[in-house]
Amino acid sequence: MARTRTTKKLAQRIDLNYFKRSTPLKRVRLGLVILLPALALAWIIWLVVAKDSRVYSSGRMAGAHAVLVNQCAACHVQKAGIFMQKAEDSACLNCHDGPIHHHVAIKRVACAECHNEHRGRINLLATSNENCAQCHADLKTNGGTSNYSNAILSFSDGHPEFAVVRTGGGRKPADPGTIKLNHQLHMKLIRRGPNGPMVQLECGNCHRPAAAPADLTYGDAKYVAASTTYKASDELLTVHTDALPPHNVSSGRELMAPVKFATACASCHLLTFDKHFDEGVPHDKPEVIHAFLIAKFTQYIAAHPGDVRVVRDPNRDLAERAPQPEVRILTPAQWIAERTADAEQLLWRKTCIQCHALSASGTPVVAAVAVAPSVLPVVAPANTTAKWMPHAKFDHQAHSGFTCVSCHSQALTSTQTTDVLMPGIATCQTCHAPGPDHAESRCYECHTYHDWAKRKEISPTFNLPALKTGAR
Amino acid sequence: MHMDKSQRAWGLASLMIFVASTVGYIIYALNATPRPSGGSVVGLIFGITGFAFMIFAALLGARKRVPVWRLGRAQAWMRGHLWLGLLSLPMILFHGGFRFGGTMTQVLMWLLIITVGSGLFGAILQNYLPRLMTTDVPLETIYDEIGNVRKLLREEADRDVESVCGALGLSQDREEAAQRAGGFTAMRPLAAAAGARGMVAPAIIAATSTAVAPAPEIILLTDDESAPLRRFYINEVRPFLERPSEHRLILGRPDKAKLAFAGVRTMLPATAHGTLADLEDICDEARQLRKQEQVHHWMHGWLLVHIPLSLALILLGAMHAVMALRY
Repeated sequence: MARTRTTKKLAQRIDLNYFKRSTPLKRVRLGLVILLPALALAWIIWLVVAKDSRVYSSGRMAGAHAVLVNQCAACHVQKAGIFMQKAEDSACLNCHDGPIHHHVAIKRVACAECHNEHRGRINLLATSNENCAQCHADLKTNGGTSNYSNAILSFSDGHPEFAVVRTGGGRKPADPGTIKLNHQLHMKLIRRGPNGPMVQLECGNCHRPAAAPADLTYGDAKYVAASTTYKASDELLTVHTDALPPHNVSSGRELMAPVKFATACASCHLLTFDKHFDEGVPHDKPEVIHAFLIAKFTQYIAAHPGDVRVVRDPNRDLAERAPQPEVRILTPAQWIAERTADAEQLLWRKTCIQCHALSASGTPVVAAVAVAPSVLPVVAPANTTAKWMPHAKFDHQAHSGFTCVSCHSQALTSTQTTDVLMPGIATCQTCHAPGPDHAESRCYECHTYHDWAKRKEISPTFNLPALKTGAR
Repeated sequence: MHMDKSQRAWGLASLMIFVASTVGYIIYALNATPRPSGGSVVGLIFGITGFAFMIFAALLGARKRVPVWRLGRAQAWMRGHLWLGLLSLPMILFHGGFRFGGTMTQVLMWLLIITVGSGLFGAILQNYLPRLMTTDVPLETIYDEIGNVRKLLREEADRDVESVCGALGLSQDREEAAQRAGGFTAMRPLAAAAGARGMVAPAIIAATSTAVAPAPEIILLTDDESAPLRRFYINEVRPFLERPSEHRLILGRPDKAKLAFAGVRTMLPATAHGTLADLEDICDEARQLRKQEQVHHWMHGWLLVHIPLSLALILLGAMHAVMALRY
């Protein structure tokens, strides 16, 4: 007879107290329910006892602060009676100075608002655009009006065209420099001297960073070695005073140094002054040149007293000068004065004026036609712009992989001194744009927040060996 | 818990919360300076919400411990546990801006992921395995009693075999077995108790059964006749009933078991076929109990991960909340 089941019989085989008995599954579960939270609790207790707060870090610290990994209290300062230990500016300022932004800035931001720590091995200086846009998106100043664009969100959103090339409102960008240079002419194949070889100048023959060794291909070592009486202020245009200086010391390779006559021009633009001499006059102020000429001619006539007999050279008759007899016997002083005057006529009217703006008694020499031999001209300051964008930082070294004309394309066509050969914002935005396929375009890449001119020195805080142990 | 229409309200509500949170997070992330952070106001809101969901989910355990509490229906608690526990993961991811942060937060994130993952795994299993149990284990019993029932089945099988083959020295504690292995219309006569072979033993009617039919007389087989049954029982049936999870045993597989029983049947006289049928039935029940055990382990094994980790998560999460507010 086959087995059959009834509910009652099935029920009878169940021990009604079965739920009181433990099973392996229940035992394991209970064990784990006790064990894991207990382990978690033990971990917490151990951290408290060991006073180790590192595990509560919200992320890895930046490389610059890696040495403080064991030094939570260096930034999270415990205050008596206060549970909170937020990192405050005072902790940052123990090690870093953080000079203010512009004095007209309305808002003062805490260090941590821009420099976010515990975000991994990031560059803490790489602040976000939003930090700057807090104010610059709707720029207001404290007690004054701003001359700057007041709605900048990022380099690609609201940033105006660079001031140096900005047009509009009847304004045309112009180079304030007075040194006459035709870039187009110099970028073409040119003859070096009346009978010299044909040469093709490269940008780098004239334009080099200050820290780079000069290219003397077209320079003259004698002029390089010579000292001059004119100062940098005679050459360079004063830098914008509102500009914030950079944080780090310049490497000397960021910007191109002002072009020097001695290193870039002297080889072709000779400063010869008289047929009796091969050398040229110093590249210096007219007074120096005048003294040089007097000295040279004095020395010469002392060595060649027979040269006081002067035979008229028809090729050297000047229209503004009275006709001379065929032969004249001059005193040495007369000879020196005459030769000096001739040399200066040559220099002021032909040689120097080729590049410099000269004036006599405030009148441009070109308009005056002639300069009286006894009157020395005034050389206009060169007004060379050493830093075209004073509010931004730029590093030519970082861009050394590109040809100069990639950005300064106008150099190939510029014929006027007043032409500004700086690239516009569109050129930079070719590479510097948002997104992973582009170069960095955040504000910090070009601009500085802190006014490092107001930097204060910091007293040392940490003891290097103690850092390892967590002590200070 | 079945994922049926009864889940619709919770599911829709959770979906709406998720969509609203996601939209909120996207807007927040696009405007966060410099990027989303758990310490920002929005980040804190996500964190508090996520942790509250976790706490609620964890309270299900307390609710189960005290079922008499009038704190809503158990089903509602379970649904809340399921959906809010699931929502806690995106909330915490939004809280941390999808970054795992430092040591403590990394531990917490992985605990949360494993806890929610194991919970999801368990929910899926709980959705499908009970149906499997219904179809494949019609003789399902209480899991905790499987060992006991299996023992009773073994004793019943011993008695059945000894009733036709004579004593095999296997039967023990029959009185209790008679009381507790019940449910059968005919308890086979305890021939072994008679201790003699070849004699006719009266069928013993199980006194406790209300559905007991008079059992026919059982004739003990001769040694030769019973040899195939004895051999089969000792070599295959008994080991299977003792260790049903052993893979090498042919009775563990229904198709092979059927063939094996059919083969033995051909070697036995007709008088022993009833006993053999009973043995086959017992083996089938033992197989079902083994299946029930396996299904039960799947259905409840994930809780070994889910519950302890969730408790550790709550503990460390509370610590994180306190310390994050501090630093």
